[in-house]
Formats: sequence, C-alpha cells, structure tokens
Amino acid sequence: MPSIVAADQLSKTFQVKVRDPGLQGALRALFRPRYRDVHAVRDVTFRIDPGEIVAFLGPNGAGKTTTLKMLAGLLYPTSGRVEAAGFNPWTGGPPFKRRIALVLGNRQQLVWDLPPEETFLLNRAIYDIAGGDYRERLAELVTLLELGDVLQKPVRQLSLGERMKCELVASLLHRPPLLFLDEPTLGLDVTAQDAIRRFLTEYRDRHGATVLLTSHYMQDVTALASRVLMINRGRLLYDGALEALVARIARTKRIELVLGARGGGGGDGNRVTAEALAAFGAVKSFRFPNAVLEVRREDAPATSARLLAAFPVADLSIEDPPIEEVIRIAFARGVEEEE
Amino acid sequence: MIRRYAALIRNAWLVDLQYRASIVLWLLWGVTEPAIALGIWWAIAGEGQIAGYARADFARYFFAVMLINQLTIAWDSWYLDRWIRDGDLNYRLARPLHPAHEAVAENIAYKARTASVILVVWLLVAAAWPAVRLPLDPGRWALTLVAVLLAAAMRFFISFTTGLLAFWTTRATAVMELHAGVSLFLAGRIAPLALLPPAVAGVAGALWFRSMLAFPVDLLTGAVHGADAIVRGLAAQIFWLGTWVVAYRIAWTRGIRKYGAVGG
Repeated sequence: MPSIVAADQLSKTFQVKVRDPGLQGALRALFRPRYRDVHAVRDVTFRIDPGEIVAFLGPNGAGKTTTLKMLAGLLYPTSGRVEAAGFNPWTGGPPFKRRIALVLGNRQQLVWDLPPEETFLLNRAIYDIAGGDYRERLAELVTLLELGDVLQKPVRQLSLGERMKCELVASLLHRPPLLFLDEPTLGLDVTAQDAIRRFLTEYRDRHGATVLLTSHYMQDVTALASRVLMINRGRLLYDGALEALVARIARTKRIELVLGARGGGGGDGNRVTAEALAAFGAVKSFRFPNAVLEVRREDAPATSARLLAAFPVADLSIEDPPIEEVIRIAFARGVEEEE
Repeated sequence: MIRRYAALIRNAWLVDLQYRASIVLWLLWGVTEPAIALGIWWAIAGEGQIAGYARADFARYFFAVMLINQLTIAWDSWYLDRWIRDGDLNYRLARPLHPAHEAVAENIAYKARTASVILVVWLLVAAAWPAVRLPLDPGRWALTLVAVLLAAAMRFFISFTTGLLAFWTTRATAVMELHAGVSLFLAGRIAPLALLPPAVAGVAGALWFRSMLAFPVDLLTGAVHGADAIVRGLAAQIFWLGTWVVAYRIAWTRGIRKYGAVGG
C-alpha cells in the first residue's frame, strides 16, 4: 500500500531577530539587526499509511506543529521533501487542498457572529459540494457529533466544545482523506474531549481517513493513536507504537497493593509497615491499606508472588508507570539511551 | 467561482447585519471628511472662485469624492495584517480558494452597501439643491464607471500588498496609515488637485495618487476636458494597476515562503 504521507529529511529553520536587553540593545537591533537560526525541525523522515491515526508527541516548541504545517502546505520547508495525499503541498494547489482538512485548536474558521451553518454553507460553495452530498454529510456529522440544536445559534454563544465540534464539521464536509489536527481538544472539558476522540475513531473507521494530530493530552494519544512520532528540539526521537515505547523506556513496573488485615492477631505488631515493604522494592506510596511499589520490570512477577506469600493481600495489580511519566523520562533522557 | 463569490458576499452581509450601529458609524465617517472639506472651501470661496472652482463646483466635487471614495476604498491591509500576525491566515491557506478572493468579495459587499446609501443621500440632496446635480450624460457615466473600477482594483492591490508587509514587519498598518495620510492631499480628498501647488499636483499625477480618486472624480464632474486627457488618465490608471498587481505578486510569493504561520 503506498503511503499517504511521506516526509524525507524535512527541515525548517527560522531566522529569529536577537536583541540585547535595554535601550542600547533596542537601538543596536534597530540599526544592525542580528539574526539567530532556530532549527524548528531537523531532518525528519517518516511515512504514514492510509487509515492510520498518528500522534505527534513533544513538549512545547518541539517542532510538532511546524512539521504539521509543512505537511499541510502552510510552511515552506527549508530543505527536504514532503508528499501528502499524492501532492507536493506547495505546488498541489486547490486539488491538494480539497484532499486535506486542517483543524487548529486555537484558531477557528467559523464566522464568529453567525450560526455555524453559515460557515458550512460557505464551505459548501468553496469546496463545490453538490447539494445532495452536502445534506447527507452534514446529517452524518451532526449525528456523530451529537450537534442537534446548535446549528442555528450564533457561534459566539456556543461552548468551546460545541465550537470545536462545529469546526470539525466545517473541515470535513468535503470529506478529505487526510486530516491534520493541531491540538483538537485544547481547553475542552473531559466529556467534550471524549466525544471528539470517539468521533475521530468512528470517522476513520467509516471513511478510512488518515489522521495526524498533535496534542498535549496523553489521553488523546492513548485513546486514538496506533502510532506516535516523538519529536524534541526538532528531531524525531521515536516512531512506533506507544506500548513499545513504554516497554523501552520504562525499566520499572508498579505493583499496586491493597492490603488486608492479618488473620488472627489484629495487634499493631501484625500491621504491615513501610519498612517491611521496602524489602521488596521502592515504596512509592504507602497509606494503609494501599501501597505502591516500584520494581524492575523483569522482577515484577516474582516479586508479586513473594508479596502475596508475605502479606495479607486483598488485591494486587501490576501496572506500567503513568504514561506522562514515561514520556517525561523519554524527553529528559532521550529514547535510545534507555535501550 | 460565481457561487463562491455569492456565498462570500452573502456571509459578509449577514455579518454586517449583526453590526448595524457600526455600519452607520462607518458611513458617517465616510460622509464627514468630504463634508468638512466642503464646508471649508465653501467659506473660502465666498461669492468668488478659486482656480476656477465656485461654491457649486466645490459642492459637486465633494459629493463625487464622497461617492467615489466609498466605491474605491480598500481596508484589506488591516485585515491582512491581522490574518498574518494572529495566524488567521492558516486556515485560509488550507482552503482551495486564494485568500485574495475572500478579500475581493468583502470589498464588493462593503462597497455595494455604503455606496448605495450615499447614492440615495445624493439623490435626495440633489432633489432639493440643484448645485450638486450632474447632467445625465450616459457617456460620461460609463467612462466614470470604468475609471472607478480601475481605481477600486488599484486601491485593493495597494492595500492588500501593504498588508502583506506583515510577513516581514509588525508595522505594516503604519505604512498604510502613512499612505492614507499622503493620499489625503495627493489623491484629492481634501482639495481638488487643481488647487494644489503645481509641484505637488505634479507628484500626484506622476505617481498613482491621482488615479486612485481625483481622476474618476474629475471625470464624473466634467473637469477632465478632451478625449486626449481622458485617454491619458485611463492609461495612467491601467499602468499603475499593472504595477501594483506585479508588486502584489512579488510580495505574495516571497512572503508566503517566509511565513512563520504563527499562532497554532
């Protein structure tokens, strides 16, 4: 299957004016401006197959959004090549733009003062959507996003979640096979985030669309993406499944215990203590009856068995460390060192 | 493309209807400037003439300025500057429609709305006040229409191109302010060019300023005499329109490569 997105040695360097502090610095910058190169994206190479949902992961300023914008044809790459939906985004023109959707979580295309339906009608004209197709697709999107009664309300009266849903409708009416979503759940409450996630999965399943997204919410990534591209300081650190990343980064597992009272005695001497637990692994937290131990990944099963034998355990589970922590470690230490 | 324009203009009008008060304010602004200029020249002219302009001539001149300025004015540099600096250009670039089309549609919507009101006001005033009546000369009106279209197109490209400077500087609107200030004198907004010192009027004619406003106004009021002068005036308009289209193309192709796509 040919890939729908291919980036080859993609780089983007911005020139940023540097200014020394103070009046003197301002004057010097005025007459003799100095520039510094900021390498937002460096030699990034990847391929994405049709129907994949891929998430860009990275801290602020890592280069995720810059990469996304180069793929969508908004930013001109300093070097390297991009092919998206069968086009070079820069020379593809309208035929390329009809095959993509770009949704920006912090920018909206909905006309602020009018009901969202007016923006939909505008896009219907801009994308030359036939009347029948328009009605059918609008009905489908409205149902999937549960947007029943908001279409006639002015956009300024909609909640943030309703606005984002309407943004998605406006961006998908022309049924593009390739979606670029930049922080689609930014600022939304948990319910709205969840609704957007469910919608995106459903939409992909129905229409086979490919989705590339950036997000700061790990739930977006864990719930949606079958694959992550980890970017930091413009470089691609990791490309693959999230579970594989966790297995690679996280050398530890967490054993979560719920302790029961020791049968028979009942005196304080029989109580489990933090010191006693420490013999089995690093105690991350302990407040009777709950305890969390961190142990080496490979030791987790054996340690669990020993814990069960040593203490009255009501419940025991073995978990990966929280995904946020794994990602934090990955960015702090890099991916490769952990191997 | 017609369907797209119809949709864009429809949306612009729908937005306008949400802001009726601001329409009135803009209209007042458009009327006030020529009204003040007329008042001043009215007082100065007294019962005599200045450079061939008597009171009635000033009245006709400034009514024409009022109408034609509204028909040719372009606000695009302000929009462009905001689109570029706030990142609102992003989704416009992702659509299969060049952002300039949206700007042109906005212009048509705006001009149709304000100019029609001014035309009605003019007709009402003319019914009571013979001085501002214009002869019903189809040839002159047709030529004026051509000159107005050329001027509107040129002012659009000037404004759009100046707005594109926001790709390079955060002070693009300051450039447009400066241009608007200069055009107050050189385009004939506060006085007919015939009243300016010859050197200044010469600059206005050598650059694009006369073509922006003064020429179509003079054409409408009958101050351009002879086929020769008309042809030269139209040729100057076409030349400057072409020049600004070239400037726009250069600014667009270079700016878009430099674009930082700010704001998400």
